[in-house]
Amino acid sequence: MSAPAKMVKVAIDGVEVEADARDNLIEAARRIGTAIPYFCYHPRLSIAGQCRMCLVETSDAPGRLVPGCQVRVKEGLKVVTNSPAVKENQRGCMEFHLINHPVDCAICDQSGECKLQDYYMEYDHQPTRIRTYKLLKPKREVFGPLVVYDAERCIMCTRCVRFMDEVAREPQLAVVERGSHSLIATFPGQPLASKYSGNTVDICPVGALLNRDFRFQSRVWFVDQGPSICTGCSNGCNVYAESRGDRIYRLLPRRNEEVNQVWMCDDGRLAYHASDEKRALWARIGKGEASQSVGPRIALERAVQLLKPLSGRGATGSLGVSISAQCTNEEAAAAFLLGGQLGVARYFLGGNPPGDQDDFLIRGDKNPNTRGVQLAAQAFGVKLEEAAGLDEVKALIGFRTEGLPVEKLQRLELFVALAQNEDAATAESEVTLPLQSVYEQECSLVNWYGRLQRTWQAVPAQRGDSAPGWKWAAGILEGLGAPSGLKSAGDAFDAFAQRSVHLAGLTFAEIPDDGYTLEGELPSEWPARAPRPQPGSPSIRSPRPDLRLEEETSGGAR
Amino acid sequence: MTEPSSEPAAPEQDPLAVETELPSSLMTVNLGPSHPAMHGTVRLVVTLDGETIVEAVPEIGFLHRGFSKSSEQSTWHQVLPYTDRLNYVSPVLNNVGYIMGVEKLASVKPTERAEYLRVLAGEISRICDHLTCVGAIGLELGAFTVFLYAIEARELLWDRISELCGARVTVSWTRIGGVATDLPPGWEEKLRDCLPRVLELTDEIDALLTRNRIFVDRTRNIGVISAEEAVDWGFTGPCLRACGVNYDVRKAHPYSVYDRMDFEVPLGSRGDTYDRYILRLQEIRQSHRIVLQCLEQLPPGPIIIDDWRYALPPKKDVFTSIEGVMAHFKLIMEGMLIPKGEVYVYTEGANGELGFHIVSNGKGKPYAIQVRGPGLPILSALPRLIKGHAIADLIPIFDSINMIGGEVEQ
Repeated sequence: MSAPAKMVKVAIDGVEVEADARDNLIEAARRIGTAIPYFCYHPRLSIAGQCRMCLVETSDAPGRLVPGCQVRVKEGLKVVTNSPAVKENQRGCMEFHLINHPVDCAICDQSGECKLQDYYMEYDHQPTRIRTYKLLKPKREVFGPLVVYDAERCIMCTRCVRFMDEVAREPQLAVVERGSHSLIATFPGQPLASKYSGNTVDICPVGALLNRDFRFQSRVWFVDQGPSICTGCSNGCNVYAESRGDRIYRLLPRRNEEVNQVWMCDDGRLAYHASDEKRALWARIGKGEASQSVGPRIALERAVQLLKPLSGRGATGSLGVSISAQCTNEEAAAAFLLGGQLGVARYFLGGNPPGDQDDFLIRGDKNPNTRGVQLAAQAFGVKLEEAAGLDEVKALIGFRTEGLPVEKLQRLELFVALAQNEDAATAESEVTLPLQSVYEQECSLVNWYGRLQRTWQAVPAQRGDSAPGWKWAAGILEGLGAPSGLKSAGDAFDAFAQRSVHLAGLTFAEIPDDGYTLEGELPSEWPARAPRPQPGSPSIRSPRPDLRLEEETSGGAR
Repeated sequence: MTEPSSEPAAPEQDPLAVETELPSSLMTVNLGPSHPAMHGTVRLVVTLDGETIVEAVPEIGFLHRGFSKSSEQSTWHQVLPYTDRLNYVSPVLNNVGYIMGVEKLASVKPTERAEYLRVLAGEISRICDHLTCVGAIGLELGAFTVFLYAIEARELLWDRISELCGARVTVSWTRIGGVATDLPPGWEEKLRDCLPRVLELTDEIDALLTRNRIFVDRTRNIGVISAEEAVDWGFTGPCLRACGVNYDVRKAHPYSVYDRMDFEVPLGSRGDTYDRYILRLQEIRQSHRIVLQCLEQLPPGPIIIDDWRYALPPKKDVFTSIEGVMAHFKLIMEGMLIPKGEVYVYTEGANGELGFHIVSNGKGKPYAIQVRGPGLPILSALPRLIKGHAIADLIPIFDSINMIGGEVEQ
């Protein structure tokens, strides 16, 4: 832990501010809500002093303007952010920034979230005085798989260059040419192939760097933003999902210092495609030619009809439940409740196969909730097996279908699938119950280091018959004559939490917005740069085994 | 009808009447909300004793549009079309009243030419409003010709309004710091050509009604209200001045360029239906004077300020410069950022004091807007005005207060 901050007193526009001695003038002013405008400054990057927007007057340099991003506070410093000289500099800066800026707002994806637009209206609002042609520069340089660059719109703040150098640590961008002709470029033969390239789009204050996945898909004011968790890997980066209707258009990182800071990886940005494409939409029975959409009620009845005779046969090992690591905690808890009712003895852990990893945000486990499913299994006192064991069961209920071996499913007498997407597995299912994606429901997930994080209903639209997995499970339980009492995600979470050493005493509503770190789950080895809770962080929650309701753990529904 | 009184005659006082009176009970009839003689969509529940009105309860709400709430969801300029629909017979006056409030919040002064144009179009609208009221009162008392004359005159002026503003009624013509359109070429001549005809038609109406025995009998001493009572009820505009109270916002608290206009405020004396009619005729002539003075004094110059924080940039700049397109984008998408504050701005609408109470929280949309429509207090007094009169007098009285559903209900 760093030493406690040394506080100094400075006066900003005559208002006394107690600022951290490490603050620059911009951050000190921010403490009292005074905005010093800036393009190139970024709190997580080195200081460049490129844009000159943040020039202010200080008592240290009377009669001169100093950059608020570079100058640090010191005891007794007086700062003026609204003098005529400062205002005139801001106006002049904007005029210079716009000299060669193309008339692109109507076709620019950044429109509506563009700092040039905001600052122009706030600090300039004058007509142009340029009577010559604007400089022409490359309009659509494809930098890499996710990023395209428009040199005309670029104001040379160099945030992207510094990000690639300092945060991604893959220096793939550079400034080339000089003066008005300068632009950002990749090195010959080396595209912007970093897994963090999408962040350069986020930090680009103008429309120069654009996300190719989102480009021309939607105007930003048409999408609604909701907080959620990325499902791309087990890091569990906090994100905003931006959607219109039932479709997600993009994922943006949401700040969480102990999980992803303000960044996320490119694969994560594309993770929403799974919830947009090839969705299992309608509850159906039968497979192949015989399959028909019958609506949720009849599909549930059919599932109950097929499962009821197997009740108890689970104990002999011929009925199994497979739970994907893509399942939420609530789905996992409901799966174990259902398995308990059916007397299932064999549980299998599915999920996406592992992929690449690095020492920052990308984890090898490409499932968002492996730890959560494991914790739930532990809480319900069951053992999770590998998919190889599927050979020995004759019937299977699949909670999400990622990673289920198709050839083994084909051999089954009965396969009931709760699935988000249509895949080879759902083609084999006798009953298919469509699931909502993580972005569409309230749920909780546990990331690779044991951080319990919740999601909200970020995409409020209803797709087909889709419902949360715990709801389907509750429906089947009801049909089996054993009502579970699960009425909400909170109920399903509580059923899990009160059985778990790690979560005892916690309810869904009590999960903080930025999540809890479950102390007993913390790993001993950390990837070098992975964000993590520092010892003593308020997010760390100790296990409360004393609150565990032992007498109820064996009774199924509470 | 020849000896009207403010109280219904008590039958018991006349022994003969008691003999001849048939036993009767009170009858409740429903007038409106959709009735050809009702102005706007309003309902009157009238309790009758024979032909005498014992009680009348106006019921509004059939034209409610949620003006205040809709305004909170709209940018400052998007509110303008809603104001068109307050008093929809003289929409320019509503536009002016609203935009003056926004300008006061933003400390913006419109250009001088815009001020004159606002007064010019506003007074034309006032003439239209009064013509409508006067024409309708004739119609309702059987003088159909009067209505046709009034509407002919109003059409002449609405044509001018539509040439100037682009619409007859839904004009949405004012802008922060100015107006949307300048006088089209040849417009002034057209107006000067049609104004004499308007006056001529007004004189015809005057000749047909003012000394018409039937009309006078049906309106004189009908729907009387005293000056004191009118003030208590919150009357403003022609209905108040008909009682002899000299209050006209244009004179009492001059705004825009009314202080440079030479005009008189006509006053009535009895506060009856006849006075309210004759006062409007006289106001038409005064407004005509103001219109002519505006045309004389109209200065050259821009019709809107050149401050891109509040006024949309000219289209040429929007299409050819990044500054213009950015300003346009921000003004359209976010609205003009009007400084924090709260104002009450009042102007002389066609029916009286039109007040806008506007609160801004510094954003591109109003935080709150309330309207003081002149019609509501006057309509509230309707039961008081018509109590004791015959049912046949209800419609003329109701017309003379010129209730406009749009501004009463918002």
